Amino acid sequence: MKILLVEDSERLQRSLSAGLKRHGFSVDQAFDGEQALRFVKQNQYDTIILDLVLPKVHGLNVLSTLRNDGNNSQVLILSANDQTEDRIRGLDLGADDYMVKPFSFDELVSRLRALNRRLSGIKNPVLEVAGVKIDTVARLVRFDDVVINLTPHEFKLLEYLVRRRGRVFSHDQLIDQLYDAASYVTRNAVEAHISSLRKRLKASGAPGLVKTRRGFGYLVE
Amino acid sequence: MKSIRSRLNLTIISTLVLVLSLTAVFLYFRISQHVVSVYDNSLHDKAQALISLTELDEEGLEFDFAEEGVMNEFEPGELAHYYQLWELGTNLLIKSPSLLEADLPLAGIALGHYRFQDLILPDGRAGRLIEINFMPRVEMDDEEEIVETPQPRAITMVYARERKSLDETLFAIGMTIFSIVVAVLLVTALLVWHLVGRGLLPLSILARQVSKIDESSLSARLSQPGEQSLEIAPIIDQLNHLLERLQSAFEREKRFSSNVAHELRTPLSELKTLSEVGQMMPEDREQLIAFFKDVGEISNQMEKVVITLLELARSDAGLLRSDPEEINLSSLCDSIWQMAKNDHVFDKQLIKQIPEGLIISTDREKFSMILNNIFVNAISYSPQEANIELSVEIAGDSLILRVKNMATDLRPEDIVHMKDRFWRKNKSQEGTSHSGLGLTLVYALARILKFDISLDLDNQRIFVITISGVPLVLR
Repeated sequence: MKILLVEDSERLQRSLSAGLKRHGFSVDQAFDGEQALRFVKQNQYDTIILDLVLPKVHGLNVLSTLRNDGNNSQVLILSANDQTEDRIRGLDLGADDYMVKPFSFDELVSRLRALNRRLSGIKNPVLEVAGVKIDTVARLVRFDDVVINLTPHEFKLLEYLVRRRGRVFSHDQLIDQLYDAASYVTRNAVEAHISSLRKRLKASGAPGLVKTRRGFGYLVE
Repeated sequence: MKSIRSRLNLTIISTLVLVLSLTAVFLYFRISQHVVSVYDNSLHDKAQALISLTELDEEGLEFDFAEEGVMNEFEPGELAHYYQLWELGTNLLIKSPSLLEADLPLAGIALGHYRFQDLILPDGRAGRLIEINFMPRVEMDDEEEIVETPQPRAITMVYARERKSLDETLFAIGMTIFSIVVAVLLVTALLVWHLVGRGLLPLSILARQVSKIDESSLSARLSQPGEQSLEIAPIIDQLNHLLERLQSAFEREKRFSSNVAHELRTPLSELKTLSEVGQMMPEDREQLIAFFKDVGEISNQMEKVVITLLELARSDAGLLRSDPEEINLSSLCDSIWQMAKNDHVFDKQLIKQIPEGLIISTDREKFSMILNNIFVNAISYSPQEANIELSVEIAGDSLILRVKNMATDLRPEDIVHMKDRFWRKNKSQEGTSHSGLGLTLVYALARILKFDISLDLDNQRIFVITISGVPLVLR
């Protein structure tokens, strides 16, 4: 899940992005409204975590610009403004969720997962394909009740493809969606992760879920 | 609690009852006096008639009225009148047949006088008498006979008759007056009730309007429908001013609470996230060290905000007192500048134009806080490498201190807001390093030290803070 974190507090940016990355999210960081709008034009984000009191362009203006431009990324407002009117204004302008500071980091992660489920249309946090169960909360993959040990990159890749079953994703699309702008990830690295994922699934007796469409990319059928 | 309307009604009606009752009693007294007087006059006339029919001649006293068939009212009967005559007040001369065996009372009065008295007539009816003392008329046939006529002697006559008609008239008069008073009272009470209610209508409307106002409707203003009342208009004006002040106080309070909450929420969420995320990565020593550094900075900032808020609260509560001492101004400015340098990273110079040895008398701690806040603001809001100017001007026994710095972001319209609590030109651009309380504290402390503070921004975007009234120690 690719996230744009728009927050002017450097300290909060630092801790939040470190924590979110730990949970398998790829995070791009914007420190003001202008930067956020620039990032959104250049990248496709699943979710935008948006502070409201931002330098240069106010968070609500960022949100309304996004929606006016037809951007459908999910927006979670993270603000110190706790008044009901603030929440109503944010949600009415097109935000999908609103959290008030100070917040629980775990709750933020849960809400992001919930937004992700809403995005994929799959409500169950445990995804299942051909007997392979992917627990998106515990971040575990099982086949016949046996845990398959995956690295965070492999898990992220598998979850992304399973959530979008039947759709083919090229190397570039996967890089764009699964890694943040600051990470330098090559096509070879993606191929290496796919190969490693296939090997681990095969080693545990699971069927080969990740297929290759030559010249197009990868998919889970 | 009694209403003004009830109290006014009660007072006015009670007064009316009293006034009307007194008037009625007085009226009844005067009318009854007149009626009794008329009645007495008729008694007197009758008595005079009887007297005129009494004469003295050579044969002695003659009572023509006593002759049979002349005055039938003195015959015994249901409506009989009575008379009785005495000579010299003791010798009974004659009495009416209606008296039978009874006598009329005799008080005895001087000649030519008369008196009236109520009595119970011999037949048991209420009556009234006239007692009159007179000399009988002497009948003279010719001058020669005068010598032979006996000398007249004073006669006392008592004439009495029933007074039922008088009592009935008095009763009718009394009842008429009473009825009029009751009717007038009833009509007046209704009129008073209605008119007082009408007169107090603007007050009732005002009361209704006021009762509808609560903390959620402080923007409402009171109004007086229809013609403006001279008495109510100033009350409405004052109440509206009060509402205005109350509304702005509520808004200020709300804004203040919201600002405090906002100022504390951001660092709190930073702390919370640092703590939660830090626990997720115990193996990442480098990251944890960075987190701890952040925690330290956040704590310092929160401490600053809390200390400033406490100082402001103490100042608001009047708990801060000035404790003046003699201070070398130049040295103090140097040490405050050095403190600012230690706390903030900047490449700016303080251009100080203060004569050495200038001594002021003020509270060192509070004055230091004022200078520190002014310096930190000047450093933070001036462009990089811009210098800060500090100059003094001696005005009699006090000093005027000026701190100048370039402030490119500031606009003239910002000046009025600068002393507001939590006001910042751009909250986000300043991050969490400034809380917007610095100048508020400067103003609060200056008030305690009895300094005047003024802020100016000229066309070249030079921002000047002037502190005047700093007591100078003259040697």
